[in-house]
Amino acid sequence: MNIVTIPLKNMRRKPTKTLLLLLVFLLGVISIVALYQVSLVVGHSLEKKLTAFGANIVVKPSTETLSVSYGGFHMGDMLLDIKDLRESETTTAIRSIELNDRISVVAPKLVNMFKVGEVAIAAVGVRWEEELGIKSYWATDGAMPEGPEQILLGALAARKLGLETGDALTLKDRRFEISGVLYETGSDDDSVILMDLSTLQQLVAQPEAVSFVEVAALCAGCPIEDIVAQIQTNLPKTSVIALQHVVNQRMSSVRFVQKLALSISLVILVTASAMVGLSMLSAVNERKKDIGILRSLGYGKTRVFLIFCLEAGIIGLLAGAIGYLAGYGISLKALEYLSLTEVARPLFSVTQLAFCALVFPLITVLAALYPAWKGSSIEPSQALVSL
Amino acid sequence: MLSAEHIEKSFPSEGADVAVLKGVSVHLDEGDYVAIVGRSGSGKTTLLNVLSTLVRPDGGLLTYRGANLTSAAEKQLNTIRKSDFSVIFQFHHLLPYLNVLENTLLPFMGSFRPVSTELEHRALNCLERVGLADKARRLPGNLSGGEQQRVAIARALVKSSKILFADEPTGSLDRNTGEQIMGLLAELHGEGLTIVMVTHEPAYAKLAQRTIEIEDGVIVH
Repeated sequence: MNIVTIPLKNMRRKPTKTLLLLLVFLLGVISIVALYQVSLVVGHSLEKKLTAFGANIVVKPSTETLSVSYGGFHMGDMLLDIKDLRESETTTAIRSIELNDRISVVAPKLVNMFKVGEVAIAAVGVRWEEELGIKSYWATDGAMPEGPEQILLGALAARKLGLETGDALTLKDRRFEISGVLYETGSDDDSVILMDLSTLQQLVAQPEAVSFVEVAALCAGCPIEDIVAQIQTNLPKTSVIALQHVVNQRMSSVRFVQKLALSISLVILVTASAMVGLSMLSAVNERKKDIGILRSLGYGKTRVFLIFCLEAGIIGLLAGAIGYLAGYGISLKALEYLSLTEVARPLFSVTQLAFCALVFPLITVLAALYPAWKGSSIEPSQALVSL
Repeated sequence: MLSAEHIEKSFPSEGADVAVLKGVSVHLDEGDYVAIVGRSGSGKTTLLNVLSTLVRPDGGLLTYRGANLTSAAEKQLNTIRKSDFSVIFQFHHLLPYLNVLENTLLPFMGSFRPVSTELEHRALNCLERVGLADKARRLPGNLSGGEQQRVAIARALVKSSKILFADEPTGSLDRNTGEQIMGLLAELHGEGLTIVMVTHEPAYAKLAQRTIEIEDGVIVH
C-alpha cells in the first residue's frame, strides 16, 4: 500500500474506461513501432535495390600530378607513380572492414587501351557477376558474355569499330566473339569493350592487376564517411572517394520512406496523447470529490498532481511495453505479407523495449500534465462544494 | 488549543460577495466537545471548514497551538491536516475504489514508501474498535451509511488526531445508526479527543459540552 495503490485501484474500478484508454494509446504505440520496423526494412530493401543502379564509392590507386612546363610552353599535367591495385588484396581489404555488412557489391576493374585497326579503344575487364549487381539497367541486343572468349561492346564503340552482335574481334592475336552490343546508357560504358577481368589480365600480362574498384555501400544504417574511413584505414596507399551525389540521391529515397513513417507516427502519437489528455481532464472533473477527501487528509498539491501523473504513466508503461511486443509481431507479419522478410528482418531489441517502456510513460505523463495541474490546483474548499 | 478570532468569510454569488461569517470568534481547549448548531445557510459548515483549515478565512486570525494558520503556508496546513486534524463529512467521505483498510490508512499512503505492517495492525485495531475488523477488505459500496461513517472515524483514530471535525455525521443515517455514531463520538471524547461537530439535531447537540449557535454568520449563543 502506497501512493501507487490509489491510481491503480481507481483504474481497476473502471475497467472498461481504463481498457479503452489503454487500447487507444496501445494502438498508437503499435502503429508507431510497426511503422518504424517496417520503414527500416523497406528502406533497407529500397537501398539494396538502388545499388543495382551504380556504385557510390570508388577505390583507386593514389596518384601524384605534376604540371610540366618547358621553354614557356605548358605541356599539361602528368600523373606520376601510377601503380595498379592487387585484386584479391584490395577486395579482401574492403570486405574485411567492420561495416562489411553495409557493403553490397565490390566490383574490381582493369582498364587497358588497344588498337583495333586504326581505332584506339579502351577495354575494361570486369567480374560479370559483381558488375551486373551494380548495373542491372544494362540491356543488349544479344546476350551477356558467358565465357572468357565472349565480350560486350558499348553502343558507340560498336559503331566506331563497325561491329555488331555475333561478329568477331581480335585483340592481341586473341579472337573474341561479340555476344552483344549494349543499348546506349549515356555513360562511359558506351565507348568501351567490356570483357572478363581474368582474360584481360592474361592478355596484358598483368595478373591480379586492377585499375580501380567500385563499391556499392548501403548507407541507411551508417554515414558513408564511416565506410570510406574504414576502407581507407585498410588500404592506406589508395584513394577512397565517396560519390556524394549518388549517395545523396539514393539516401533521399530511403529517407523519404523513413520521414513518411515518422510523420505518420507523429500524427498518431499526438492524437493518442490528446486522447490521454482529454480522458485525464474528464477524470479530474469526475474526481473532485476524491481530491477534496485527499486534500482534507493532508495530501498537498504535489501529491494530487503525482496521483494523476502516475495514472497516466501506468497507461503509458503498459502501452509502451505491450505495444512494442505487438508492434514487433505485426511488423513481422506485414513484412511477410510484403515478401520483404528475405531482404531483412526487424530486429527484436531489449533496448528498444526498455526505450518504449520509458518514453511512452513520459509522453502520457506530458499529455496529462495540464489535467494533473488543474486537479492539483483545486482548493479543498472548491472540492468540498461537491461533497 | 485552537482559536479563531473575528473570522470573516465571503463567497461570490451572482456577481456579488455574500458574507457567510461576520467576525466569528471561537476558542477550543484540549478535550472540548463543541456542537455548532444553526439553521440551514447560517454559516455553521463554513465555520467548521475554516476551523479545520479546509477554507481560508478572508479576515480574522486562526491559531493552533500558538501557530498562526491564517497566513500559514500550504505545506504547514497539509502537515496539520495529515497529523492533527480529522474531518468526517455527511456523505462521500471514503474513496470508493479503496477497501475499508486502505481508506483507513489513506493518510499514510501519500508516498512511495509502503505503509508499515505496524500501521496496518494499528488500522485493524481501530477498525475492530468501531466494529468493522471483519469488513476490512470490503469496498465502501458494500457498507451501510453508518459503517462508512465508522470507517471515517477509524481513520481519525489511526492518525491519533488531536481534533475531530464532524460535519453532520448523522445527517444521512437513520436514528438508530445515528445514535451508535454519537455513542462512539462520546466514547472517543471520554478518552480525550477534542470534537467539533456541526449538527441540526438538538438532541445530539445536547451530548456536547458546549453549544455554539450561529445565525446569519454571527454567533448568537
